[in-house]
Amino acid sequence: MKIHDLDGLHDARRTGMMKILPGKPRIGVGLGTCGIGNGARDVFDAIKDALKRCGVDAQLTKLGCFGFCAAEPLVNIHLPGFPLIVLGRVRPQDALAIVESIAAGQPPLDKAICRIDEWDHLTGHVMYGRGFADLPHWDEIAFFKGQKKIVLRNCGLINPEDIEEYIAVGGYHALYQAMQKPGVGEIIEEVKKSKLRGRGGAGYPTGVKWDLLRKAGSGLQDGQKYIICNADEGDPGAYMNRNEIESDPHMLIEGMLIGAFAMGASEGIVYLRAEYPLAVERLKHALAEARQFGLVGEHILGTDFNFDIKLVEGAGAFVCGEETAMIASLEGHAGRPRPRPPFPAQKGLWGMPTNINNVETWCNIPVIIERGGSWFAQTGTASSSGTKVFSLVGKVVNTGLVELPLGTQLKTMIYEIGQGGQGAPDGKRVKAVQSGGPSGGCIPASSFDVAIDYESLLQLGAIMGSGGMVVMDEDNCMVDVARYFLEFTHAESCGKCIPCRAGLDQALTLLNKISAGKASDADVELLEELVPMIREMSLCGLGQSAPNPVLTTLRHFRREYDEHLRAHRCRAGVCDSLFLSPCENSCPLHMRIPLFLELTRSGQIAQAAELIWLDNPLPGSTGRICQHPCESQCRRAHVDAPVNMREVHRFIADQVFAGALLGEIKARLARRRLPSSGKRVAIVGAGPSGLSAAFYLALFGHQVTVFEAREAAGGMLRYSLPQYRLPRAMLRQEIDVIESLGVAFRFGQKLGAGVSLDVLEADNDAVFLATGTWSAASAGVPGEESPGVWHAIDFLEQVARDQPTTIGKRVVVIGGGNAAVDSARTALRAGCAVTIAYRRERQDMPAIAEEVRDAEMEGVKLMFLVAPQRVVCDQRGRVTGIELMRTRLGDYTLDGRRRPVSTGDTFVVDCDNLILAIGERPDVEPLRRCGIHVRENGTAAADWVTYETNRQRVFAGGDLVTGASNVSSTMATGKDAARAIDAILCGEDRLAQVLGAFAVAQRVALEPEGGARNSSPELAVLQRRTSDAEVLLGLTPEMAHAESRRCLRCDVRDPAAAKG
Amino acid sequence: MAKTVTLKISGAELTASEGTTILDLARDNGFFIPTLCHFKGLSAVGACRLCLVEIRGVPRLLAACATRVAEGMDISIDSSRLTKYRQMIVELLLAERNHVCAVCVANGHCELQSLAQRLGVTHTRYPYRYPRFKFDASHPRFNYDPNRCILCTRCLRACEEVEGARTWNVMGRGINSRLGCDLDQPWGRALSCTSCGKCVQVCPTGALSEKGCAVGERTVRQNVLPFLNMMRHSGR
Repeated sequence: MKIHDLDGLHDARRTGMMKILPGKPRIGVGLGTCGIGNGARDVFDAIKDALKRCGVDAQLTKLGCFGFCAAEPLVNIHLPGFPLIVLGRVRPQDALAIVESIAAGQPPLDKAICRIDEWDHLTGHVMYGRGFADLPHWDEIAFFKGQKKIVLRNCGLINPEDIEEYIAVGGYHALYQAMQKPGVGEIIEEVKKSKLRGRGGAGYPTGVKWDLLRKAGSGLQDGQKYIICNADEGDPGAYMNRNEIESDPHMLIEGMLIGAFAMGASEGIVYLRAEYPLAVERLKHALAEARQFGLVGEHILGTDFNFDIKLVEGAGAFVCGEETAMIASLEGHAGRPRPRPPFPAQKGLWGMPTNINNVETWCNIPVIIERGGSWFAQTGTASSSGTKVFSLVGKVVNTGLVELPLGTQLKTMIYEIGQGGQGAPDGKRVKAVQSGGPSGGCIPASSFDVAIDYESLLQLGAIMGSGGMVVMDEDNCMVDVARYFLEFTHAESCGKCIPCRAGLDQALTLLNKISAGKASDADVELLEELVPMIREMSLCGLGQSAPNPVLTTLRHFRREYDEHLRAHRCRAGVCDSLFLSPCENSCPLHMRIPLFLELTRSGQIAQAAELIWLDNPLPGSTGRICQHPCESQCRRAHVDAPVNMREVHRFIADQVFAGALLGEIKARLARRRLPSSGKRVAIVGAGPSGLSAAFYLALFGHQVTVFEAREAAGGMLRYSLPQYRLPRAMLRQEIDVIESLGVAFRFGQKLGAGVSLDVLEADNDAVFLATGTWSAASAGVPGEESPGVWHAIDFLEQVARDQPTTIGKRVVVIGGGNAAVDSARTALRAGCAVTIAYRRERQDMPAIAEEVRDAEMEGVKLMFLVAPQRVVCDQRGRVTGIELMRTRLGDYTLDGRRRPVSTGDTFVVDCDNLILAIGERPDVEPLRRCGIHVRENGTAAADWVTYETNRQRVFAGGDLVTGASNVSSTMATGKDAARAIDAILCGEDRLAQVLGAFAVAQRVALEPEGGARNSSPELAVLQRRTSDAEVLLGLTPEMAHAESRRCLRCDVRDPAAAKG
Repeated sequence: MAKTVTLKISGAELTASEGTTILDLARDNGFFIPTLCHFKGLSAVGACRLCLVEIRGVPRLLAACATRVAEGMDISIDSSRLTKYRQMIVELLLAERNHVCAVCVANGHCELQSLAQRLGVTHTRYPYRYPRFKFDASHPRFNYDPNRCILCTRCLRACEEVEGARTWNVMGRGINSRLGCDLDQPWGRALSCTSCGKCVQVCPTGALSEKGCAVGERTVRQNVLPFLNMMRHSGR
C-alpha cells in the first residue's frame, strides 16, 4: 500500500475518485462535533436503516462539516450526472423520505438549501453535474456569498477518515512537488512569496519564521529540530481549528510534512486539546492511514526523508496556547511561560530549535505549494494575504464557520453573511462584536466598516486572534462582557508574573463592583490606570492581551459604564443586582411590573392601583399607547407569548376611573405625600414629562405650579393623539388625580411670551422645562409648502381641537412612525382613502406594530420602499399628487439596515391632500434666548441623569431634551428630573421613600400558569371607519386576572420560593 | 574572549562583554533597577516584572534580568512610566497577601518592605484580599508562612538548581498559586528536603524563616549562593 512515487499517488487518486463519484447515489452526512451535537449521528443511522429497508444501492459516507452550523445537521446528496445537493436541518424522521426519493431518482429538494455543480478543491477538481436550476448555487445563498474556501476547500465534501478521498482531490501532491524542488530554499521562498502570516493571531510572517528554523539548525551537531502544530484552541466561541482537524486532518498532516521537509525537522508534534475528542480520534486515524501509505514515517514517498508526527493532548490550560508555556507543558512541566528571547527557533523544545505554527497556518501550506505563492497572495490585501476562517457566533441568524478573504469589511460578515439583527420577529440591533476571544477586543457597530486584517483590527484595540467572532446585541451588557472575559483570563492566568496574577484579580474585583452598581468614579479611574500596566508589564501574551476587552469596552462603551456608575442601571438587563426583573428594567419608568401583577392576581386591586400610580402617574394613557418595551424582554415569550403587561395596568386604571376606587386612590396617594418642604418648583409644559415631574414633586412635598401654553393639560396626549386611541375624558381624570395632590396649573402661558424664565427662577427654588417637540421637520421635498400639504402634527392638533379640517377624498401620508399611522387612521375616519408611503420596509417602521396592523385592517394602503421626489400641483398651486421613486435595498449601513437606493423608476400617486409625518423638532429659540445651551441636533442640553441644564436649578426634560420619543420615555425624564430636583432641594435621594415597599407573595409556580396570552377585545372594523370610538376595549376582569397569572415572577430571587 | 559591546544606560556610555544581562551591567555600574524574583546565582525567570526597562526602538518593555546586552542599546531604567508601574506592582503585592510588617519576622530586613519604601509606596489603593493560608511549622528548623509569600520562586530555584533536591514547587494557578513541598506535604514530612536551609536564606520576605525568630529578628545571608555556585563551577 505504500506510495513510492507519482504513479502510486495517481493510483490512489483514481481509487479515491471512485469513492467521491461512485457511479451511484452518494449520501454524505456532516459528522463534525457540531453536526453530531445536532443529531447528525442519528440521521446517519436512520439513513443507513432506510437504505437497508428500501434495498436502495447507494453509498453512505461520513463527511466533515461544511461550515453552516445554523443549518446542521447537513446531508449531501449526489445522484450521478446531477449537481450535489446540500440538505439542511435534516432530522432522523426525514431519512425514509430522502431514501425513497433517491430510489425514485429524484433528490429531495424540499429540504435542500443549495446545490453544487462543480467544486474547485484548488488542488483538484470535481465535476458533479448540472440541473436543478431553481435551487440556488451554494455561493448564491446569504451565508456563503462572499466566502472563499481555501482552508476549508475540502471540508464537508470528502470523508475525513479516508486518505484516498483526500488524495483524490489532489492531496499529498503538493508534498510530492515540494520534494521535487531542487532546494528546500525554494519551498520557503514560495511561502514567503505567499505573504502568509501566522493564523494563531499574532500574524508573524510564516516564511520568515521557517527560514529562522532552517538556518538555526545549520550549526548543530545532533541536528534535532522540532515542528509543533498549535491546536490548543481555547478561546470561548472559537472552534475553527477543531473543525479543520475533524473535517480534513490530512490537510494539516501534509502542511506539516512540507514544513518539516523545508526546515529539516525530524519530528513533529500536534498539541491538541483533550476537550476535542473527535478531532483527536480523526487525527490519530489519519496519521495511521498516512503511515500505512508511506507518507509519514521513514522513507516518505520512497526517499530518505524521515518524519513522524506525535499527537499530544493538552490538559486544558488556556495559557498552553502560548508557545513557551506549550513547550514547558510538552516537557512535562506545568504550563508556565518563560521570557523571550531566546525564541523557540533558537532554543525550544528540549532546548532544540523549534517552530510552532497554528493549525490553520499549516493548512494553508499545501495550496501555496500546489498553486504557488503568488497565486495565494492575490487573495486578501497587500499586507494580509489569503483568507481567514472565522467562527461567527452569538446574536446572528447564520452561525457557522466563515472563510473570508482578508480585507473584507466586518459588516459583510455580520450583516450579509450572518444576517445579524435580522432574527425575526424581534431582531434586536447588533451592538458590537468581540473579535479574538478573551485576548481580543470588542468592536462597536459604528466601526463595522473596518476591513478585517491584522493592522486594522489592531488599530481598534482588538486583534484578529485565532478568529472567534462573538456578535452581541442590545441584550448584552458591555460591562458584563468585559467582566466575563476577564473572569476567564483571571481563571486561566498561570500565576507566574505579578501584573497578570494580582493585577487581573484586582481588575476583576473592580469590574464586579461596577456590575453591582457599587462603584464610584474613583474605581473606574483605578481600573483605567491598572489595565494598561497589566498589558505592558505582563510576561506573556495572556496577560498582555487580557486587558483588551476592558480597554475596548471602556473606549467604545463608556456610556454603559457610566450608567452602571451614576444611574445604577444596566440597560441590557444582565447585571442582575441592578434591577427587579427584565420587564421592570426595560420599562423607562421602571414600573414594578411583577409586583402589580401579583397584587392583581391575589385580588388586591387597590394596592395594585396604588403601586401602579406611584410608578407611573398616567397609567391609563400609557396602558393604551405605550410602545411596551417590557414585552420584548418578557421571559414568558420563551414559553408562549409575552405577558400583556400594558393591558393589565390599563385595566386597573380603568377600574379606578369607573368606580368607587378613585377616591381611595387619591386618598392613598395623599397619605404618601411627604411633609411640606416649603419649596416651590415651576414646571413649563403640561405634557407627559411635565405632568410626571409635577406628580413626583408634589409627592415630595413641594409646591408645584405648571405653566402651559395651550388651554388644557396633556401635551401631545391631548393635542396629538387621536381619540380612538386615547379618549380625552380618561386623560382628564388622570390629570385630576395629579391636581388632587395640590399641583396648580396656569394655562395660556408660553415661555418667552407670557412667562419668563428669569421671573420663574426668582419666584421658585427650581424650574423644570418640558416644552416638547411641536415644530414639524421639513421633508426636503420640492413643493412641500403647497396648499393641501399638511404636517402630521398640525393635522392631528386640528382634529384634536375639534376644528373642521378640509380634507379631500384621497390622502397620502409620508412616513412610518406613530404620527404617520395616527394621521392615516384619523383621515380614514374622516372618510378618506389613505395610503402610507414609507421609504423602508414594514419591519423597519418605528410605529407600534399593532397600530400598523390595525391601520391595514381598517383599509389603509401601505406602500414600502418609495421615496418622495416632489409634490405635484395643479395650475393654482394646489396639491394633486406626489411623485414617488421606487427604491430597492442596497448595501448595509453600519446600523445593520440596508440603505434604500433609488431605482430611477418614478411614478405619481394622485391625491387631494398630502400629510408629511417626517418627524418633529423642539422649538429651542426661547431657551436659547434664556442662555440655556442647545445641542447641535437642536435639542436642549441637559445632564442625562439629573436633567440639570447649564443654568443652576434649571432642569429640562422630555422630548425637548431627547428629541421626539414616546410617552413612557418622556415621562421617565420627568420622574428622574423630579428625583434630582428633590435631592438638590432636600439634600438626599428620597424617591424610595415615596415609592414605598409593597409586600407581595414570593412564589413561583413550578409550571407556567394562566394559559394563552389575552389581548384586548377590539371594536369591529366596520364600526371604526365612521366613528372615533376607542378601538381597544380593554381586558375583562377575567382576562386581566388570567394575564396576571401568566407572569413567571422573574423578580423572585429566593430559590426556596420555587418549591411551592 | 567574549566580544565587547557598547551601549547606554540612562544616558551613560558603558561597555560590557556580550552575554551580560542588562541587570548585571546596570548594577555593576551603580544603577538601581528594582527586582524581587532575581537572585544572583539562580536562573532568571522574569516573573516579578519590576526590572522591566525601556529600550529605544523596541516597542515592548523588556526584563533587565533576562535580556542580554547588545551593541548600541539605549536603555532607560527609571522613566516616570516605569516608576509608576513599579509602584503599582508593589501595591498589588501588598494587597495580595497579608503583609503586615509590624508582626512579621522580617520587619526591617524585608526586600518587599524596603522596595516599597524606596519607591515611595506608602499605602495601597486596592482592597486587601486577606487570604487565610495555613501556617506550616511542621519542619523542625524552619517555618513557612504562605501569607507572606510573593511567589518569587527563589526558594524553588535554590532548592532545584543549587541543592538539587526539588522539594519546593508551585501548585495551583493564577491568584490561587501557592508554594508546596513534595506533593503538597507539610514541610516537615517532605522526604526530599535535606534541611539545608538555602531556601530560607534566599527568601525576600518573611515567608520562610528559621524557628526561634521573633518579630524583626529574621536576617539572612544572601551571599551564600554565589559562593556555592562558584565552588560548583570551579569543581566541574
